[in-house]
Amino acid sequence: MSGHSFKEFPITWGMVIDIDKCTGCGACMASCQTENNVNPQPEATNKLRSTSWMLVYELTNDKAFPDHDVAFLPRPCQQCGNPPCVSVCPVVATDKNEDGGIVSQIYPRCIGCRYCVAACPYHVRYFGWYDPIWPEGMTKTLSPLTSVRPRGVVEKCTFCHHRWNLAKDAARAAGKDPEDLEDGAYVTACVQNCPSGALSFGDLKNPKHKVHELIKSPYAFRLLERLGTKPQVYYISRREWVRKLGDNYLKSEKTE
Amino acid sequence: MGVDRRAFLGLVAGGAVGTMFTPIPWKLLDDVSIWTQNWPWIPKVPKGQIDYVTTTSKLCPAGEGLKIMRVAGNPITASGNPAHPLSSGGVSALARSEVYMLYSPARVKSPMKKSGKAFVPITWEQALIEMADKLGAAKGSVACISGDQSGTVNEVLSAFVGKLGTAGYFMMPSEATTAAKGMQVMGGKGQAGYDFENADTVLVLGADIFETWGTSTRNRKAFSAKRPVGVKPASNYIYVGPTRNNTAAVCDQWIPASAADLGVVALGIAWHLIKAGATSAAPGFDTLRAVVNGGFGPDDVKRATGIEPAVLAGVAKALASSKAAMVVTGSPFGQGLGAGAFMAGMALNILLGRINKPGGVYALPELATVVPGAMTREAMLKADLPGFLKAVADGKKPAPKALLVYDANPAYGLPEAATMAKALEKIPYKVSFSSFMDETAAMCDLVLPNSLTLERYDDVVTPYGSGFCIYSLVTPYQKPVHDTRPTGDVILALARKLSIELKFDNFLQVLKEKVASLAKTSGGFVAKDVMPWQVAAGKPAPALAGGDLWKALSAGYAWTMVGSVTQTGLGFAPEVLAKAVKPGKTSGKTVTLAPYAQLRTGTPTTGIPCQDLTMVPDTELLGETTMVRMGSATAKALGVKPGAMVKLTGAGTHCKAQVHIFESVMTGVVSAPLGFGHTAFDIFSKGKGANYLALLPVTEEPGTGMSMWAAAEVKIA
Repeated sequence: MSGHSFKEFPITWGMVIDIDKCTGCGACMASCQTENNVNPQPEATNKLRSTSWMLVYELTNDKAFPDHDVAFLPRPCQQCGNPPCVSVCPVVATDKNEDGGIVSQIYPRCIGCRYCVAACPYHVRYFGWYDPIWPEGMTKTLSPLTSVRPRGVVEKCTFCHHRWNLAKDAARAAGKDPEDLEDGAYVTACVQNCPSGALSFGDLKNPKHKVHELIKSPYAFRLLERLGTKPQVYYISRREWVRKLGDNYLKSEKTE
Repeated sequence: MGVDRRAFLGLVAGGAVGTMFTPIPWKLLDDVSIWTQNWPWIPKVPKGQIDYVTTTSKLCPAGEGLKIMRVAGNPITASGNPAHPLSSGGVSALARSEVYMLYSPARVKSPMKKSGKAFVPITWEQALIEMADKLGAAKGSVACISGDQSGTVNEVLSAFVGKLGTAGYFMMPSEATTAAKGMQVMGGKGQAGYDFENADTVLVLGADIFETWGTSTRNRKAFSAKRPVGVKPASNYIYVGPTRNNTAAVCDQWIPASAADLGVVALGIAWHLIKAGATSAAPGFDTLRAVVNGGFGPDDVKRATGIEPAVLAGVAKALASSKAAMVVTGSPFGQGLGAGAFMAGMALNILLGRINKPGGVYALPELATVVPGAMTREAMLKADLPGFLKAVADGKKPAPKALLVYDANPAYGLPEAATMAKALEKIPYKVSFSSFMDETAAMCDLVLPNSLTLERYDDVVTPYGSGFCIYSLVTPYQKPVHDTRPTGDVILALARKLSIELKFDNFLQVLKEKVASLAKTSGGFVAKDVMPWQVAAGKPAPALAGGDLWKALSAGYAWTMVGSVTQTGLGFAPEVLAKAVKPGKTSGKTVTLAPYAQLRTGTPTTGIPCQDLTMVPDTELLGETTMVRMGSATAKALGVKPGAMVKLTGAGTHCKAQVHIFESVMTGVVSAPLGFGHTAFDIFSKGKGANYLALLPVTEEPGTGMSMWAAAEVKIA
């Protein structure tokens, strides 16, 4: 898709989301926003102008009552193995590197051209249309771990990359290998706080991590897999219509 | 020497190539990008030592334990406390907002006194003098409304109001109110507690257990534990309700039924159970059997609800064949369901032999009160607030001379809003102890700002829905951001001014005495290595190490106790059931309104937390318009088109809405989001959408006499 070859990394952080357990409560979104200093937005229902690195979509099977079914799909950055956003960035503000296969975004280098926004098939990249303004006094609640982005640049989910740094520091302090973290030593804010336990996180290549096995589930799938972007976010659902919708199958299309 | 064309072109080409390879333009572009982002108005993030402390959420009714990240001593974010049994590391969108709500623009910054239509700031001393004067004059006729369902502060308030001469102590209506009434009518004792952790088949009648009902964060954790990712579920959840809501979306089965028919469905299942041989020694079984056989057979239920006989037979079979079945009943939006449906659900639990059993319903004992003259929670839950206010509005009952409103917003959060506002206006002196300038505070004579969770000592005592007794502490981690005080302290100071003896000088003393009384309660333990649901399942309860309970609670652990009240008279109350449970009917060009509530839109006392607005989908709120959901068949029958603006009329008032076609709403029902339509608060809440609660008329439930408003017909035009 992007023209770049697929990069392999020894550590590949990934997320597994069990759609059959997600109740769509939005706790992951709230966790993401406060963890990553996304400012409160009074006009947040305008989804083309508001910012939400993690967004919960409502899926339906498109059938009439009573056969209608509903599922909720939390959508962070898919951290593609072959990211379409990287190759189109004229200033190399975004990159996929050795840092656990996480697609990075260097805010001060971004010139706001939004090519990456156009290239991303998952709509995970957000252009800051407005100055980041917090109500008076609320800046005291800013997290020290993530910078505040000015308007005019593109931002996105980073798998709470700062937490990886903290986990590595903690491992070093404990005399452990920071490149071989235990399962659960590094999780993102959304995964940590999900009250439904629908989100799991870990190194997809590490057999000691739960996600390593989870992605082999026959019910596991990735979004728009046929595009070849090879996301590091996997979804699990026992419902076939959810899996088909995840890869945008047409109604007339054969799946076998 | 001239420059010929060839040389010129070579120069241009060379220059172009040189520009491509020199880093200068790229460096300049990079620098320009950095310079243009380095504006002084972009907030800088704080620096300092990071540490973590624990407390318990008071904004979220689920009562989850919180872990607060601090930087240089300032609270920064809230997350779930893994060591707390009502959290297990999870957190709701509402509890997550605890930190930034400290700086909400809607906060009341100091005591305020009404002057004309506006408020003027006054000092705390002036406020206390005025209150002492006014409440002294209103002696014998002072009422109180509390929105805190789980705090010991209710003991202080009820003792204070009781000694002034109470005109009534009212809790805001909730599932706890309904359950208490149901238990009382059935001759039972104790608070209904649901052991989700040990249940393997759960029939949910209406209750949005994974969103707004009871200990919702803990409920989801229990659900999740029985359903490891990617593995076949080890539990079976069946949801009965008017919409496929947040709970039903993950349940194994959704059976559409109106909120008005939940009791009918329960008795229809009872018919199948009894036919299959279920019996009970509980009082009233024979009459119950006659009632069920007389009007709740498969055909009767199908006629009333549209549910096929085979569907209910399947549910009955699933329950009867399960080792640990449990029936949970509640309103789809957390209030207004009559006690009849609760009683019918409990009748199923009794028939299944699931009372005080692991994975069933526990009748939880109430913890001892410590404030002399305080009401018990059982006594507090008996009062019927909407019924009282309606009677005041209609002139059938005299208005109290003074009203204290604590952590409650009855002017917004009750049904039939116009009637309730009329009643409140009749009360000559009103004081609101509110952290935010809500609709009720705006009507009051005095607003005394309550400190928020992170600014005060407080507690959470066995929230409704918990399957075990639980006590956790709320600890302040910063000085109040504004000139606010904890209401418990204010009431105790006021009592001293009025020479009312309440035994304690400040609220911290009350809490210490409460904790000391827990340390003496036999069977209690600190949930640390052993969790209460493990004890319910047979694991020995650890001993409580005496003397350091306060320390353990301050460290974020919870005191718990698996206990049950011995039932001597719990029966089916079939005569009341027969009157209370009747099939609902819709007629003509009306539809049944089925509101739904979500924690992301806050509570009536919080408004919409500013960060949570992003979570509201554009199929629920678009700009300033809220949307109602209906199936295409309903829309066709009503003659409305997708996206059309409509007017919903009910209870003598009307609201606007946009139509959103959503097929997971049963035919004949329109589903509407709650939490919108505020006329107070801030830019994140005010003027956004409509408050559809106002459309629901309050009616009296036959048999129990309880106010109910879970389902009502509305006109759509």
